[in-house]
Amino acid sequence: MNLWEMIRMAMENIWANRLRSALTVLGIIIGVMSVILVVTIGQGGQARILNEMEGIGTNLFAVYIGTTEDDYEKYRITLEDCRAIKESVESIEALSPLVYGYTVVEGSPRKQSAYVYGVDSDYNQIQNIKMAAGRFFSSIDNSVARRVVVINQRLAEELFGSARMAVGKKIKVKQVSVVVCGVAESGSGMFGPESPMVYMPIKLHFQLFDSEDRINEIYGSAAHKDLVEESARKAIRVLEVRQQVKDSKAYQFVTMSQQMDAVDQVLAIITMIIGAIAGISLLVGGIGIMNIMLVSITERTREIGVRMAVGAKREDIMRQFLLESVVLSVTGGLIGVFLGVGVSVIVCMAMDIPVVISFGTIILALLFSITVGVFFGIYPANRAAKQDPIEALRYE
Amino acid sequence: MIRVEHLTKVYDTGIVRVQALTDVNLEVQKGEFLAVMGPSGSGKSTLMNILGCLDRATSGSYYLEGIPINTLDENELAHIRNRKIGFVFQTFNLLPRMDALRNVEVPMLYSGIAPRERRKRAWEALDKVGLADHALHRPNELSGGQRQRVAIARALVNNPDIILADEPTGNLDTRSGLEIIAIIQDLNHQGVTVILVTHEHEISRHARQVVHFRDGRLVRSEVIAEPVQARKTLENSQQGRAALEPLGND
Repeated sequence: MNLWEMIRMAMENIWANRLRSALTVLGIIIGVMSVILVVTIGQGGQARILNEMEGIGTNLFAVYIGTTEDDYEKYRITLEDCRAIKESVESIEALSPLVYGYTVVEGSPRKQSAYVYGVDSDYNQIQNIKMAAGRFFSSIDNSVARRVVVINQRLAEELFGSARMAVGKKIKVKQVSVVVCGVAESGSGMFGPESPMVYMPIKLHFQLFDSEDRINEIYGSAAHKDLVEESARKAIRVLEVRQQVKDSKAYQFVTMSQQMDAVDQVLAIITMIIGAIAGISLLVGGIGIMNIMLVSITERTREIGVRMAVGAKREDIMRQFLLESVVLSVTGGLIGVFLGVGVSVIVCMAMDIPVVISFGTIILALLFSITVGVFFGIYPANRAAKQDPIEALRYE
Repeated sequence: MIRVEHLTKVYDTGIVRVQALTDVNLEVQKGEFLAVMGPSGSGKSTLMNILGCLDRATSGSYYLEGIPINTLDENELAHIRNRKIGFVFQTFNLLPRMDALRNVEVPMLYSGIAPRERRKRAWEALDKVGLADHALHRPNELSGGQRQRVAIARALVNNPDIILADEPTGNLDTRSGLEIIAIIQDLNHQGVTVILVTHEHEISRHARQVVHFRDGRLVRSEVIAEPVQARKTLENSQQGRAALEPLGND
């Protein structure tokens, strides 16, 4: 009996109990389907987030002060440091300092709390900020600390109803009247809507927030993707020399590609965990198979006896029943793959995320379903093969 | 062909010890038709299982064509069952989901015969028992006698040396039973060794040799000088019926 014949025989036996075979297979179908669904949606979402990050710019890096509150008190970055970096590190294309602030912004008549960033005119280029209306402030605005600001769409809508309405309007930040010269598009916000934001010339920020020349972070973009880390290191070197700092951990940097890697890893882990949880349903399906195989073997005790009497070896019986459970699980696996891919495509299209069908996942799901078939088939098949032919022939 | 010496079988369940066979000595020549008689519990089924290589003796020896069966492992026993022995059971033991043809094919599944050859041989075997025209019927579409004929075809299909028939007529009416015995006698005339277990005296008269069992011992052995020929009995009754039928039709 060749393999194909044995498979055909297994299929006939499965077909003879259509309903219960179908119900058993359903367990595997649901398991495989959910694994594929979870992984596909997970990878699609991952691809979309990474695309967005890539859109901001893979050449991006940020330099920041230390890691603890203490470091922040001890070390500093000044505007003059920034200028020095820009002049001495050739691989840096654009550079902008950044100071944070958070305050109430008053339009008339509405008010809204917002993050207020003091930045350079290069900041929009570095962060790839697109303008919904108006313009970003210029380097001259910056150098003279002109009282102009850029707000984001979210804030514009909160205060004035729309981006276009906001341009040219006056708003009050820290009781000082400033003019909105442009409205930045809000990001598409994979993690929910973007917060209300104000960008202003950094010198104006120093004035309004009454702070000394202390910068929180430096954002830069390198001329080439391969120069990002080098640029960041050189920038830190400049800072260390200028601030006479010996602690090598005083200044640190992070690059967009590092962050993308980190996000990539986190998302991949999340996908894997949920996929594994979905995989548990495959185990449940496997138990269903074992159950039905045990029933089948009891029902077919006499058949086993007859086959043994006419010359079947124990291993023939074992193989027959093992193959039946594998055929069951593989059938479930195949149907599950088809349904899983189909439903994934629909869901991804509905969620507007790229359809990333991973063949690795499909193969893995199929392999896993075969494994489940073998694993949960071995015990029943072994039990069948261990029957005493005389007892089996007498079985009523 | 078959030589059994001092055969003893003890079933020991740990709680009870049953001596099923005690010191059985038996020799069956090639081409013999042996009937094994005895009441239930006399050990005849146990003997049958041992002769059929489904079970092993506790002690003593069993030679089949010179092969010491006691020394074989399970796989070798399966091989012997497959090639040298054909079983016919009281309850037919056909596989319900397969048609007659595929039932007859089953032993060949385990002897590595190619599908086409299997099919051909199965047809031939069914033809031999006069059931070629029912080859594609499932067991539940066949009468008891027809089912037993399928079972005989299955027993024959690998050209065994011995046919072991365990109460083959037990579930059949007299006429169907006789037909089965007739087929078995035909096979025996063609040279197949037959061992038939029965508790019916009339059936045992068709054999050429009868051994009687009681309480696990072979108590008596007789040779039947002129075995009853089942085919003759059938023909006679057929003539009787032929004489009756015209009356009924008028």
